[in-house]
Amino acid sequence: MIPAPVRYARATSLEHAFQLLAEPDSKILAGGQSLIPVMKLRIARPSLVVDISQLELRGIDVRGDELHVGALTTWDELLDARELERPALAAIGECVRGIGDLQVRNRGTVGGSLAHADPASDMPAVLLALGATLQLRSPEGERDLRVAEFFAGPFTTALSAQELITHIVVPLPAPGSGSAYVSVEHPASGFALAGAAALVGRDGVSRVAVTGVAGQPSLLVSGDPHEALEAAEIFGDRFASAEYRRELASVLVRRAVERAAERTKGDA
Amino acid sequence: MSEAHIGVARPRIDAPDKVTGATKFGADGYVHGLLHARLVLSTEAHARIRAIHGDDALSVPGVVAVLTAADLPTATTGTDRAAEPLAREEVVFAGQPVAMVVAETEAAAEDGAEVVMVELETLPPVVDLEDAMRPGSALARLVEKAEGGSDLESIHAGVDHGQEDAEQEQLSANVLDRVQRKNGDAAAALDASEVVVFGTFRTPWVYQAYLEPQVATTWLEPSGTLVVSTGTQGSFVSRKELARAFGLPLDRVRVVAEPLGGSFGGKLALIEPLAAGATLALRRPVRLVLTRGEDFLATNPASAQVTHLRVGARKDGTFTGIEARMLVDRGTNAGWGVEGITSSLLVGPYRWEAHDIVGYGIQTNRFTFGAYRAPGAPTAAFALESLLDELAEKLGIDPIEIRLRNAVVEGDIGISGNAYPTIGAVEVLERIREHPLWSARASLPENEGIGFAAGYWPGGNEPAAAICRVDTDGTMTVVTSSVDMSGVDTGFAVIAAAAFGLDPNKVRVVFADTATGPYSGASGGSKVTYTVGKAVEGAARAARVKVLAAASQELEIAPDDLEVVDGVVRAIGAPDRSITVEEIVGKALRYGGRYEPIEGHGGSAQTRGAPSVAAHLSHVRVDRDTGEVELLRHVIAQDVGRALNPALVEGQMRGGAAQGMGWALFERLDHDEDGRLLTGSFLDYAIPVAERVPEIDTLIVEVPAPDGPFGAKGIGEAPVVGAAPAISNAVAAATGVRIHELPMTPPRVWQALRQDSGPTETPA
Repeated sequence: MIPAPVRYARATSLEHAFQLLAEPDSKILAGGQSLIPVMKLRIARPSLVVDISQLELRGIDVRGDELHVGALTTWDELLDARELERPALAAIGECVRGIGDLQVRNRGTVGGSLAHADPASDMPAVLLALGATLQLRSPEGERDLRVAEFFAGPFTTALSAQELITHIVVPLPAPGSGSAYVSVEHPASGFALAGAAALVGRDGVSRVAVTGVAGQPSLLVSGDPHEALEAAEIFGDRFASAEYRRELASVLVRRAVERAAERTKGDA
Repeated sequence: MSEAHIGVARPRIDAPDKVTGATKFGADGYVHGLLHARLVLSTEAHARIRAIHGDDALSVPGVVAVLTAADLPTATTGTDRAAEPLAREEVVFAGQPVAMVVAETEAAAEDGAEVVMVELETLPPVVDLEDAMRPGSALARLVEKAEGGSDLESIHAGVDHGQEDAEQEQLSANVLDRVQRKNGDAAAALDASEVVVFGTFRTPWVYQAYLEPQVATTWLEPSGTLVVSTGTQGSFVSRKELARAFGLPLDRVRVVAEPLGGSFGGKLALIEPLAAGATLALRRPVRLVLTRGEDFLATNPASAQVTHLRVGARKDGTFTGIEARMLVDRGTNAGWGVEGITSSLLVGPYRWEAHDIVGYGIQTNRFTFGAYRAPGAPTAAFALESLLDELAEKLGIDPIEIRLRNAVVEGDIGISGNAYPTIGAVEVLERIREHPLWSARASLPENEGIGFAAGYWPGGNEPAAAICRVDTDGTMTVVTSSVDMSGVDTGFAVIAAAAFGLDPNKVRVVFADTATGPYSGASGGSKVTYTVGKAVEGAARAARVKVLAAASQELEIAPDDLEVVDGVVRAIGAPDRSITVEEIVGKALRYGGRYEPIEGHGGSAQTRGAPSVAAHLSHVRVDRDTGEVELLRHVIAQDVGRALNPALVEGQMRGGAAQGMGWALFERLDHDEDGRLLTGSFLDYAIPVAERVPEIDTLIVEVPAPDGPFGAKGIGEAPVVGAAPAISNAVAAATGVRIHELPMTPPRVWQALRQDSGPTETPA
């Protein structure tokens, strides 16, 4: 449980971070809740850890009709945010409350979790359902990427080597919307065996996403989400078969939509 | 003798130090010149070792040595973990230590261990228990080695080893042991029964999941004595195993049992031989602390078991015949397995007209089997109590009532042909039946259920001794060689205080080592309070005789007319004629003193067991769509003989019930087809964390044990036994579906509900 020999550097600015990340085997350290354990197990063995935790990428605010969340915002800060206290964004808090334990939520960051891209991570499903966009920065400049285009497979993203997430931007849903996240956790890891997020508008139209059941979280775009799940490629293992996960996802989608729909009544 | 302090809930003596971090555990002590060891574990379940290359590791700065089996000065050729700390030529499970890197720092040892190259020639792994016992099956161990004579089985339970094998059966050489227990004609009894139920029950390997990973620190005194500071349940057991393993005289091995950060049966001479071997090879102090991952892979969890069981009853609920075949996975443990214990406990605390139970101990390429809180009992109770619930249902008799009609009482003949000693089965069943939760089961919402099950543990006996010494400040020191676990010191203090006549706050308890302490067996089998506690009582009484003799001279009153109350010796009926114990000790412990030191030595050698029965109610809600089982409430009633300290007793009851919840819903060590562990971390292996454990009501039942200190008996193991079947019976009550395999994970429950007919059965 001792990491392989590694160098450490603390970035003082984004530009400094980019310089440090020019080293081929470097790795970004944000809250350390994913990276440090895999380093201690020597599954990850970067030559250099670039600590970005001091960069000013933290905070939650509403700008016009968008919610901006700094990538270094911790889970606990999300739970405390007044900006999220509306039925349309209820899925975020619901999701965060189920993440890790208090210590993990105090240290773990939203951006770090997204960049780690664990296929059973909860938040990606919520951000997909809410139609969120990620703001990315690299030496080449800025770009915006929809969350749906960000994940490329288990622990794999569209981030290039020197690129990092700066903000998560969530378009504020139309008035009268409600959202929800429900999951069944693996009893040991707490990660989702299946998780489903739903955003339901006043008109009853919903957007649904699932996580934990495949190599990456996915938006169930075409028509009936249950039919979409029937056709989806679902992952199975010795703990939970693909058959179970598919059925579970379907149940959770139904529950998430019902709960989100219930919440539409609470949004003035 | 004053019993005023008995039965009073009081805080644990060790709590302040443990809570504030002042307690020194095995990994905390500083030793000058200490080296750190890191293990290299086999990645294959079954293989021949071709070569081990340590050159790269030796070139890591700080690495002192790379040790293999040939480097350790072992003196025996047995296959047990003490005799073969590092695999010699054949690897028999994935996770078996094959080499050890010793370095100046932990980091250097880890860097070195990472680059040790082990060349293995893969052999067919034996991972399927039922296949393993068929004649002609591949063998889990090819190289024959002489047995070294370990006797770890006897530590755990007072059971015999069954009858001589009468029947011939074609079996693979993987079957290391076959135990048959037979009385009457069970088949005929079953044929004549009005109702017969049967089932095949499967339970997985289960990890003890103690908080503190295994640790040992070893060094050589200048005199050449090997000192072993370790988290062990039995210092004398560790000493014996080490002396045997390395061919050392007993007096050249000194084992210091450090406070245990949890153990549950898993810490007995397992890793001490590794550290000791390194110290003997290098003549340097060495510490080995397992990482959690190593602790999962390389230690000794509870066996997987398959039980084919058939039981019958008459219309009035009288149990008739019980027939079973119990397949116990020993992994690589050639020394012992739980087939002896589990086959004797399968009958439960009930009367049967006839029984025929066969237990098989089978070797496979999985782990080394070890003890886990009530070894073999939860697996037996899961099978039996599930079927008894079905019997009750089929006969339309209340599940507790049917057990009451068959519950054993003192004098009934048990499975070994011996009469039961005092046993509180009836009292426990009657007590739990009165709990409001039991009557609530008729009016539950949909998908909720309440289940009942009972379990028992026979207890253990082993002679033990203790010393009580009173100091000039009037305080008493109790010395035993028990180990610091589960608050036994608080129990000893109240026993000594009551037997002598002191306030328990004036008693301090010392855990001595093998060089300095009186004899005590391993802390296992629920026998510490019963046997060592009895010795403490004797020692305190002996000290009391001394103080009375001295006081008699001081007060000029006959000893028989004196009493000791809260540290004061006084005349019975005339309390103003008195002298304090402190004063008397002051007259004894000084140059030219007049009295013998106020010290006593006590011993115990009970031959009668003190079984403890525990019964459970479990209230669950099942989510039919997801398969999740939510525990809503739990009740446990247990016969504890006499609750010396009800707070500690309730702690044991709750802890046992919680571990049983782990058996029921969460815990499973799972291997792939090649025998590699898939669940070797707490990210994969679930335990019942606080948020999943419901409120647990505890009902203490007191049926005094005639030979126990103040009627107390061992209580640590019984509470885990019946918890899982209570939960599975609750799931059956909620859903109508009986699940015969643990743990009842959401996918498994979902599957069972979908099939809606329960698992496929084959007659036993």
